[in-house]
Amino acid sequence: MSGRKETVLDLAKFVDKGVQVKLTGGRQVTGTLKGYDQLLNLVLDEAVEFLRDSDDPLKTTDQTRRLGLIVCRGTAVMLVSPTDGTDEIANPFSQPDGA
Amino acid sequence: MLPLSLLKTAQGHPMLVELKNGETYNGHLVNCDTWMNIHLREVICTSKDGDRFWRMPECYIRGNTIKYLRVPDEVIDKVQEETKSRSDRKPPGVGRGRGRGGREDGPGGRQTKGIGRGLDDGGSKGAGGGRGRGGPGGKAGGGRGGGRGRA
Repeated sequence: MSGRKETVLDLAKFVDKGVQVKLTGGRQVTGTLKGYDQLLNLVLDEAVEFLRDSDDPLKTTDQTRRLGLIVCRGTAVMLVSPTDGTDEIANPFSQPDGA
Repeated sequence: MLPLSLLKTAQGHPMLVELKNGETYNGHLVNCDTWMNIHLREVICTSKDGDRFWRMPECYIRGNTIKYLRVPDEVIDKVQEETKSRSDRKPPGVGRGRGRGGREDGPGGRQTKGIGRGLDDGGSKGAGGGRGRGGPGGKAGGGRGGGRGRA
């Protein structure tokens, strides 16, 4: 019916590509998108979770945990972005000296 | 002015989105929907404490994780024009259900589910009841009619 197919982002272009997914609660996972539905449930293959600092759960560390094939429940998905072209960068907002 | 109309008008503009977890995303709004799910392009993500940054070509953010969005001031000028035109073209309410029910020539088995039962009352009892009894197609509409027929 109406209101079902309308997703803001067409995930079709991410299929078989690496995606980064942030979940409510703070878990962060990357993997190859194998499938999805309109509720944003995702199938990720070779998923890797980035473990978080036990002192500060907001920070991700370099430690990872291999999850394999997973289904991410749509209601828990906060953010989806392609891993291609995603990099940590220096502060882009810092003003040059004297500003 | 509705928040979502403003957001809709802000498509194509740069904006800042802060999530409930404190992360912020700066990017150009590509698209948004009625759940405030948004699609950003050329995004810079900033961690909650503001000392780590990531660049990403695009991202999809679920509406219910958003705390607030900052949109450029100029968007407000555009949104007012749109709200005006929107109220102009709002059609008057049309009675729903008009023409439903009592459609005796409907495709067999797919009888509209009992809507318009009120209209049918009495007159078409024979037709509706008969079809309901006939096969599994009567399931929906026949809830009442079928029972009646059997009794």
